[in-house]
Amino acid sequence: MDDIKKIPLILDGDPGHDDAIAWMLAKASPELDIRAVTSCAGNQTIEKTTYNAQRVCTLLGIDAPIAMGRPRPLLSDPITAGNIHGQTGLDGPALPAPSMELSPLGAVELMAEVLRSSETPVTIVSTGPQTNVAALLMAHPELKEKIGRISLMGGGIAYGNWTPAAEFNILVDPEAAQVVFSSGIPVQMAGLDVTEKALIFPEDFERIRAVGNQVAKVVADWLEFFYRFHRSIGYAGAPVHDPCAVASLLHPELFTIQEMYVEVETAGEYCRGATVGDIKGRLGRTPNTRCLMDVDRQGFADLLVEAVRAYDGWEVRV
Amino acid sequence: MSRIPVWFDTDIGVDDAAALLVLGKLEQVEVVGISAVAGNVPLCRTYDNARKVSQLIGMSVPVYRGAEKPLFKELKAAVNVHGEDGLGGAELPPSQASEPSGAAWDALYRAAVEAKGELEVVAVGPLTNLAIAIGKYPHLKTLIRRILIMGGAAKGGNVTPSAEFNIYVDPHAAQMVFKSGIPVVMCGLDVTHRAYLTAEELAEIGNHDTPVCRFFRDSTRDLLLFHEQWGEPGIILHDICPVLFLTHPEIYQGQEAGVFVETQGTITNGKTVTDLWSDKEFPVKNTFVVLDVDRPAFVSLVRDAIISY
Repeated sequence: MDDIKKIPLILDGDPGHDDAIAWMLAKASPELDIRAVTSCAGNQTIEKTTYNAQRVCTLLGIDAPIAMGRPRPLLSDPITAGNIHGQTGLDGPALPAPSMELSPLGAVELMAEVLRSSETPVTIVSTGPQTNVAALLMAHPELKEKIGRISLMGGGIAYGNWTPAAEFNILVDPEAAQVVFSSGIPVQMAGLDVTEKALIFPEDFERIRAVGNQVAKVVADWLEFFYRFHRSIGYAGAPVHDPCAVASLLHPELFTIQEMYVEVETAGEYCRGATVGDIKGRLGRTPNTRCLMDVDRQGFADLLVEAVRAYDGWEVRV
Repeated sequence: MSRIPVWFDTDIGVDDAAALLVLGKLEQVEVVGISAVAGNVPLCRTYDNARKVSQLIGMSVPVYRGAEKPLFKELKAAVNVHGEDGLGGAELPPSQASEPSGAAWDALYRAAVEAKGELEVVAVGPLTNLAIAIGKYPHLKTLIRRILIMGGAAKGGNVTPSAEFNIYVDPHAAQMVFKSGIPVVMCGLDVTHRAYLTAEELAEIGNHDTPVCRFFRDSTRDLLLFHEQWGEPGIILHDICPVLFLTHPEIYQGQEAGVFVETQGTITNGKTVTDLWSDKEFPVKNTFVVLDVDRPAFVSLVRDAIISY
């Protein structure tokens, strides 16, 4: 594909097994051009997610600059998810040591730099708390028009996971999420409504492993690790949340998408971090979000299997 | 077999009235008292309406006045849904019944004592009266077998994207009920929106030439149009759901869950937060959340009850 037509992309995340798989999918897709990678605090501390970002980019051959994000949410104390992603934030298979230095810029500075220098609007894929993206929007309102859309994993119109009403990424930094939803930039939301239907089953792990290259084996191991926690609470497969935010850019036809007005509850005894979606349009407000509500699960699983094939012949030393 | 002693608490209301019509024909149930609360329309109307509808169906149980306003909020009525009079403009003669003295919460307490722990409360309006009773009589929780409510929603809302009307009107009262220790059966929007009657089903009932069917026809006319405007497949008579749950639980499906009410949010006040689908669960399962209904069975029970007057 002609480089001019590629969608320029910033990957902001807190890898994290499913972040890493989302990045694998992005790097494997010739339609996407990864211009920067930024880490955020979430699944683990910022030191760990940043180190993981470097290791994942090394494994996948992503050669874009990598910058470290804010160590803490805008207002809240950090929350991490060691119970799901392990002590390192990316437990499981051995990974290569980072082959690159971190950018001397901070995450917001690097994102701003990429936006300023891009001829075409940039898509931000943010698969962790929205802290960095919100900080960018607050500091650089003049660059909003350079952002084509924000495709995020977070929230849930119907329910939460970390609390009954709130999903982890939004709960970690509800104020940041509200900055993003209210920004006026088109937001595409892969929330629990879709991601808990995007289950990857153990037989899919084996299809991926059977592809045989280094990345395929690592991805299969990641899925197995990630599934451990979910199996223990009754899931039939691994809900690989974050790749939905990338897959929906590449193949919107796999998803059922509903436009609605979404706002984040930032107060509340039970509902802090809930993404409230006006699903029936009762508020009469202009929709600000394309919510992914359902997915062709088989098509989504097939997409991941195909994506790992792109790494045939690529190998780095672990 | 002895009949189930039932207290009916209502902000009557077109669908409340229909619920009372159905309740009056449940042979396994003995209605021991009715209390009115402010909600769909102000208390003076709900009190009056409860008396009139009871008289229409020959139900000679005392109707008590309850709370005029929610615990901490101002009343937000729904005259756009139920009409100024609360009965969609349907006319009924004034009640001839004598007015009992005393407040709803005291009468409810006495009925609970009388029923020796067997009392079931069907509450289809804001839960203010119940909350006041729970507040005044701390041991009430040992005297009420369960509370069946129409209110809330596990997913979504109607008056706001997060909240259903009855809970939204008095979220603090609802939270007191969910925290009371009394088991709750919650018939929220999840089930009530599946318990609709089509225009044809409604018309068939209304065509029976009895005073009750004529009242049913006249009172539901505008509400049907209102619901059709919102794209519903028919009229939603929410409040009938908990009434039929008393005697026909087998036509419903649901799940035990922890449920609590948001009272401190900015955009989520009145949301009934459930742990049905989240990884994190509440420490208690205080509620049976009703999620689905066998609609044909529901419609046939409603029809048979209303035409049998």
